[in-house]
Amino acid sequence: MDLAEIRECLGNGKAWVNKSEARWLENPNLDVEKMARLMVETGARLVTVTASRTPGDEFQMIYHWDLQGQLLNFVTITHQATLPSIASICPAADWIEREIHDYLAVNFTGRELPTLVLNEQDPPGVFSWNFQWKGKEGGRA
Amino acid sequence: MSYTIPIGPYHPSLEEPCKLQVTCEGEIVQDVTLSVKYNFRGVEWLAERRNYHQAITLVERVCGICSNVHTLTFCNAVEHLAGLPVPERAQYIRTIVVELERLTSHALWAGIAAEVMGFQTLFMTCFALREQLMDLLETLSGNRVHYGMNCIGGVTRDLTDPEAVRTTSRRVRQTVADQLIPLFANDKTVHARCAGIGKLSKEQALAWGAVGPTARASGLTEDIRRTSPYAAYARLAFEVPVETSGDVFARVVVRLREMVESCRIVEQALDQMPPGPIHGPGFVEVPPGEAVARSEAPRGELFYYVASDGTDIPSRVKIRTPSFVNQPTVRLMMLQENLADVPLINASIDPCYSCTSR
Repeated sequence: MDLAEIRECLGNGKAWVNKSEARWLENPNLDVEKMARLMVETGARLVTVTASRTPGDEFQMIYHWDLQGQLLNFVTITHQATLPSIASICPAADWIEREIHDYLAVNFTGRELPTLVLNEQDPPGVFSWNFQWKGKEGGRA
Repeated sequence: MSYTIPIGPYHPSLEEPCKLQVTCEGEIVQDVTLSVKYNFRGVEWLAERRNYHQAITLVERVCGICSNVHTLTFCNAVEHLAGLPVPERAQYIRTIVVELERLTSHALWAGIAAEVMGFQTLFMTCFALREQLMDLLETLSGNRVHYGMNCIGGVTRDLTDPEAVRTTSRRVRQTVADQLIPLFANDKTVHARCAGIGKLSKEQALAWGAVGPTARASGLTEDIRRTSPYAAYARLAFEVPVETSGDVFARVVVRLREMVESCRIVEQALDQMPPGPIHGPGFVEVPPGEAVARSEAPRGELFYYVASDGTDIPSRVKIRTPSFVNQPTVRLMMLQENLADVPLINASIDPCYSCTSR
């Protein structure tokens, strides 16, 4: 399956963009489960997922896949800081989703999200915690 | 009746914190739960609060073993973003240093694996070899661990004594080919401890996203140096060792063969390295945008995503280390194995918990 067919299968109107020696496809309404199934069927490897804060309350999500050495980046956005989990389709997403949940409190539906880098009792979203260094006597605000 | 044994977070052989909860029936492992939170330092969060040059020093400290490849990959991503060319001589120096780092890492791993097997002579041979490499890296960079060699647009130090590198590389290649490979390949103790143990199939490796020697020991062929060449790799000839048995022994063989290839790469790079500048302008403006960079770290593919909002501080830095994707596969390797093999199976992926939790 070539890149044009992948784009067609995902019903995306936008063209692939070539940037930093990788291919990028943007779709704010990307069906991530369909994308994951398609990529797994083509023999692609999930490299990772990058979550980034946007000016609003949502997060930009980039699903990075390696297809025969070529890096494909699917760019989408969360809806109410939530996306469906792809861990049941692609096991490599298990730790990736748990880490994103720990870091940014993005939710992934259809699975449990035990902490990966935080303690069990810590609230998710450690990158949003308000850290204020209070010297040796103090601690986290 | 099943019982659960907690191993770690302090582990006597790995000396890095990780907790394994191993559930057994008799001596046979039925399930494993991993906990890797003990080294979490929020490096990505910290990198988004430092300028690009400060971030290089920070990302170098993600790992104490593959520190150089972190700065290389970060610099590559920023250079993509800024459209900054890297002088050819700097590309060769980057290649040489990153291969010496791979040799150091693999020698360390081989030594630890030998120690876990109870083979102390082999452990000493590996560490004596590693010492020579660390001495060389200290001569080149001034440091034994964090080399500080990469900057945005090139390298910070020229390679002024190529003969010293060539001599060490030849000696290392000879030691690996004449001593380490025959010892690991033919010794009955090594075979008994490694062959047929801790298997990971090709399908499992792909589904769980395994990379590097762990993946290549299971039949996957990808090596970022070959599939997406960076630095000077496109101009250098080397083989990518691949094994298909997917067991601990295959991981041993892949790494040892990689050491020979690394020496070949270093020696070719020394032959081809042209004279010229080693870096571009000292300070660069990074325009708004985003870029990715990948490289083949000693443990496998290292991935960086860097986004810029046009200021001198990156707006997003994402780091995906090879250990982060290799570590979950040890659960699959350990299932139905003997409890006594758990430490060796865990060590066989060359885990780095500092990289994993960052």
